Amino acid sequence: MDKYILIPLLPLTAFIINILFGKSVTKDKAHWVAILAVLGSFVLALHTFTEVLGGKTVNQDVYTWFVSGSFRVSMGFLIDQLTAIMLIVVTSISLLVHIYSVGYMHGDGGYYRFFSYLSLFTFSMLMLVMGNNLLQLYFGWEAVGLCSYFLIGFWYEKKSAADAGKKAFIVNRFGDFGFGLGVIMIFLTLGSVYYADIFSKIGTLQGQTINLLGYDVNLITLIALLLFCGAVGKSAQIPLHVWLPDAMEGPTPVSALIHAATMVTAGVFMVARFNPVFSLSEVAMNVVAVTGAVTSLFAATIALVQNDIKRIIAYSTVSQLGYMFLACGVGAYGAGVFHLYTHAYFKALLFLGAGSVMHAMSGELDIQKMGGLKKYMPVTYWTFLIASLSIAGIPGLAGFFSKDEILWLAYNGGPVGKVVWAIGTLVAALTAFYSFRIIFLAFHGKFRGTREQEHHLHESPKSMTIPLIILAVGAIAAGWVGIPSVVGGSNAIARFFQPVLGHPHVHAGHDEEWIVMGISVAVAMGGIFVSWVFYSLKPGIPRSLAANFKGIYTTLWNKYYIDELYDFIIIRPVKWTAVNVLMAVTDGAIIEGIVNGIPKAIANLSARLRKLQTGYVQHYAMSMAIGLFVIITLFLIAASK
Amino acid sequence: MGADDLLALLPLLVIAAASVVVMLAVAFYRKHMLTVQLTLGGLAIAFISLFAVASVVPRKVTPLIIMDSYALFYMGLIFAASFVVTILSYGYIEGREGRQDEYYILLLLATLGSAVLVSSNHFASFFLGLQILSISLYVLIAYFRVSELGNEAGIKYLILAASSASFLLFGMALVYAQLGTMEFSLIAQRSTAADMRSALLLAGLILITVGAGFKLAVAPFHMWTPDVYEGAPAPVSAFIATVSKGAMLALLLRYFTLVDIRTFGPLFPVFTAIAIASMFTGNLLALFQDNIKRILAYSSIAHLGYMLVAFLASGALAVAAVSYYLIAYFVAILGAFGVITLMSGKVKDADTLDEFRGLAGRRPWLSGIFTAMLLSLAGIPLTAGFIGKFYIVTAGVGSALWLLVLVLAVNSAISLVYYLRIVAALYARSLAEEAVAAPHLSLAGGIVMAVLTLLLVWLGVYPSPFIRMLQTTVARLI
Repeated sequence: MDKYILIPLLPLTAFIINILFGKSVTKDKAHWVAILAVLGSFVLALHTFTEVLGGKTVNQDVYTWFVSGSFRVSMGFLIDQLTAIMLIVVTSISLLVHIYSVGYMHGDGGYYRFFSYLSLFTFSMLMLVMGNNLLQLYFGWEAVGLCSYFLIGFWYEKKSAADAGKKAFIVNRFGDFGFGLGVIMIFLTLGSVYYADIFSKIGTLQGQTINLLGYDVNLITLIALLLFCGAVGKSAQIPLHVWLPDAMEGPTPVSALIHAATMVTAGVFMVARFNPVFSLSEVAMNVVAVTGAVTSLFAATIALVQNDIKRIIAYSTVSQLGYMFLACGVGAYGAGVFHLYTHAYFKALLFLGAGSVMHAMSGELDIQKMGGLKKYMPVTYWTFLIASLSIAGIPGLAGFFSKDEILWLAYNGGPVGKVVWAIGTLVAALTAFYSFRIIFLAFHGKFRGTREQEHHLHESPKSMTIPLIILAVGAIAAGWVGIPSVVGGSNAIARFFQPVLGHPHVHAGHDEEWIVMGISVAVAMGGIFVSWVFYSLKPGIPRSLAANFKGIYTTLWNKYYIDELYDFIIIRPVKWTAVNVLMAVTDGAIIEGIVNGIPKAIANLSARLRKLQTGYVQHYAMSMAIGLFVIITLFLIAASK
Repeated sequence: MGADDLLALLPLLVIAAASVVVMLAVAFYRKHMLTVQLTLGGLAIAFISLFAVASVVPRKVTPLIIMDSYALFYMGLIFAASFVVTILSYGYIEGREGRQDEYYILLLLATLGSAVLVSSNHFASFFLGLQILSISLYVLIAYFRVSELGNEAGIKYLILAASSASFLLFGMALVYAQLGTMEFSLIAQRSTAADMRSALLLAGLILITVGAGFKLAVAPFHMWTPDVYEGAPAPVSAFIATVSKGAMLALLLRYFTLVDIRTFGPLFPVFTAIAIASMFTGNLLALFQDNIKRILAYSSIAHLGYMLVAFLASGALAVAAVSYYLIAYFVAILGAFGVITLMSGKVKDADTLDEFRGLAGRRPWLSGIFTAMLLSLAGIPLTAGFIGKFYIVTAGVGSALWLLVLVLAVNSAISLVYYLRIVAALYARSLAEEAVAAPHLSLAGGIVMAVLTLLLVWLGVYPSPFIRMLQTTVARLI
C-alpha cells in the first residue's frame, strides 16, 4: 500500500519543498526536486502497471479524514486497469514536460514557482485518477482546476493571461455546479460516495423517476447527465469549450501537460469510470455521443482557418476530446480511453514542438509569418511531422489504431452510432488537413518572418529536444498495443480494459471492418493531399476560397462567434443588470437594506455592545448581577411550568 | 489511604513538589535559566507520571478527588499547555526589569489548581482548586508592576473573581443545605430525585452557574476578559485563555455527564441562552477591534459559546467533540499568543494591528504560523479547528439543537471577518519602515511554535488517532 501512497505523495512533497524554500534555497535548482519526485512517481506507476497487467487490482482505503454517522470522508485508492493506464499517461507526460520546462522556462523570474505548481498539479491529477470515491475525485477535480488557473495566469502581469485564467475558472464553475449536484444526488439516492457501492447499487435505481418542474425524469439519466456536465466543462466540450483556446496564454509546457494530455481528459476518464452508471441510461449515452461528435466537428472546422499555432492545436484538442466522448457515447469506453492514451503522446508532442518553434521565433505564434523552419530545426520538424502523421491517422502510427477502433465501434453502434461514425470520418479528413497545414506553412516553403527573427532561428536545447524525441517514439508506438485482429494484431488493450470498461458487441463482419478502415485511411490521405495542394503546390487557392466563401470563412475565423454570443447573451446582460438594476436599486436603498443592511446592522450592534465595554469594573460587576437576575427569572419561568 | 491511592495522586504531588523545589531553589540561586529548567522538569515529570498512574485508575482518592482516564487526559492537556507557556515566558521575561523567578512558582501553583479542578469530585476540592488557580492568577496578571495596564487588569480580575467566588461558595452552601452532600455523584443522584422547584436548590445552582460562568468568561460574565487579556503579560493571557478555562469546562463536563442536562430542570434553557449570548457577544465585539489581544479575548468568549453547543448536546459524541475542540482551541490559542509573545518587546506587548501589518515581509515563517493559527480558530478545512467545529456541529445536529447550530453557523461567518482582517494585515504592505525590527527569536520559542503548527495541521489532516484516543479515554466517562 505504501507504494501507492507514494505515487501522489512524492510530487506533493516536491511542491511543499519548492513553495517553502524555492525563494531562498532551491531557486534555479528547483527543477531537480520536482523532476526527481515525478520520476519516482513514474517508476512506481510502471511497477503498479505491471502488477495490474498480472491481474492484481486493489481497492483500499488509506486514511480516513473524519467520520460522522454514515458519512465518511476518506482517501483511498482504486487501482485497476483504467487507473493503471492513467497513471502511466500522467506520470510519463508530466516527467517529460518537467524536463522540457528546464530549457523552456530557463531564466524566468518565477522559475521555482512554476515547478512547484507543476508538482502540485501532478499530485492533484494523480489523486483524481487514483481515488476510490467521489469526494476524492471531486477534490482532485477542483485542485487540478485551481492549478490550471494558476498556470494559465502564470504570467499574471500580462492582462490577457490573467483574463484567460479567470475565464477558464469561471466557465468551469458552470460544469462543476452540475457535477457537484450529481455527487450530491448520488449520495442522497445511494447513501455512499464509494465507487464500489455506487456501481453495485446503481441498478436498484432503474426505472425510478424524480419529479423536476412537473416532468418525471429518469433518476439514472439525471445523475449521468449531471456528472456529464462536469465533464463538459473540464474537457471543453460544447457549449463550455470557450476557455480552452484562451488557456493557451499559459506557458507552452503547461498547455502540453494540462490542456492536452492530462487535465482536460479528466472528463473522459470520469465518464469511463462511471460507465456502469452511463450504460444504464440510453438517453445519457446518446447525449454523450452527440455532444462529442458535434464538438469534434465544430472544433475541427474552426481549426481549419486559424493562424495561431497554439490555438490550432488547442482546437484540435477540443476536437479529439470530442472523439473520445463520441466513443464513450456508443459504449466503446475502452476505445475512448485508448484514444486518450495515444492522444496524450502525440498531442503533447505537438504542443512541445510548437513551444520549440516559439522558442526559436522569439514568441511568434502566427504560422503565416513562419515557413521553411525545417532546415533550421530538424529535430523539431521531424518530431512534429511524426505527431501530425499520428493525429492524421496514417496507418502504423499510434493515432491510427485508436481512431480506427473508435470509428469501427461507432459504426457498429446502431443508428446514432452510424451518424456519429459519419461525422467522425469527416472530422478525420479535416484533422489531417489542418494538421498538415501547420507542417506546410511553418516548416516548408520560404521564411516569411522578419530579418531579425530569421537571424535568430536555432534548434532548441537538448533538454527540450530529448523529450520531443521520446514523445515521438510514443506517438509512433503507443498504439501498437491495440492493433486490431483484422490486420493480424491481438488488440491487447481492448482485452486489458475488458474487466472494467467492457467491450461493445460487434456484429458486422471483417469485410466491413476493412471498408471502414479503408475509408478512414483514404480521407486522412485526402486531407493531407489537399493541404499539400493548398499550401505548397498552389498557395493562391486558400485566399481565393476565402474570398469566394467569405461568409463561411469569417464565421470560422471568428469561431462561430460563440464568444461574442456569450458576451451578448450572458456577460452583457449580467453587466447591464449589475449597473442599471442592481446599482440603481441600491440607490433606492432596497438592496442596501438586504445586502449591506445585515453587515451594517451587525456593525451597529457591535458598536452598541462596545459601549457596554466601558472599562469600569463596577459596570462589569453590574453586568454579572444583571446576568444573575436574568438567569433567576429564566429559572423561575422554567421551573413554574 | 493505600499506596495505590498515593500513586494515583502522583501527578498532583509532583506539581506541588515542583513548586516547592522551585521556591527553595530561588531562595538560594536567583538564576532565571535554572528556575525555568526546574519548572519545565517538574511539568515534564508530572506529564510522564500520568502514564504511570494510568494503571491504577479509575480510583476515588478520598471523597474529594477522583482519578480516572478523563482526569488524566485533561491533566495531560493542562501540563502540556503549561509547558508551552513556560517556554514562551522565558523568552518574554528574560531581560526584563524586576524579579523574574517567582513567576514560575505562581505558574506551577496555577497549574496545580487547574489539575485539582479536573480531578475534583467534591465541592471542597472544586473550591480549593479554583482558589489556588485564581489567587496565583491575580499575581501573575499584575506581575510586572511597571505596567499600568497590568495592574489595572490584576485589580479588576481580583475584584470580579473574588465576588464570583463568593457567589459560587454561597451556591455550594445552599445546595448542601438542600441535599446534604457535597460529592458530585451524590448530588447528581439526589438532585434528579429532588423537586426542582425547591428554592434552595434552584438558588444554589444559579449561583454556581454564575461562578463557573465567570471563570469560563461566557456572556454575561465575560466583561473582564478583554481588559485582563490586554493587561496581562501575553504568556499569562495564553494561560488564562487555555488552562484556566479548560479546567473549568472539564469540571462542568464531568458533572453534567453525571446528570443529563437536558432533563435537569431549567438548566438547559439557561445554558442555551448563555451559549447564544456568548457567541454573538464575542464575535460582534471582536469585529472592530484593533488590538489583537482583545480580539483573541473576544474570540475566546465566542469559542466557549461554540463548545457549550456540544456540551448541551450531551452524550458520548458530545464529550469527545468538546474534548477535541478543546485540544484544537488550546493549540491555536497558544500559537496565537505565542506569536504575540515572540513579537513583544521588553517594554510593551506587540498587540496592535499596526504592529503586525506587513509582518509577512519581515518574518514570513512567523506570519505563516500566525495565519495557520487564525485559520484554525476560524475553522478552515485542513486545520484542527475545522474538524473540531465539524464534530461540534455533528453533535448539535445529532441532538437536534437546530437553533444553536444555526447560531453557530452564522457566528462562524461573522468571525471570519476579523480573523481574515488580521491575516490581511499580515500580508499587507507595511505602513512605514519605522515599524520596529522584530526582536530576536529564541530557538526554544521557535521550536515550540513549529511543534504547535505541526500539531495543528496534523489534527486537521489526520484526526482519526486523536478521535480514537478520545473515545478510549474521555468518552469512557459516560
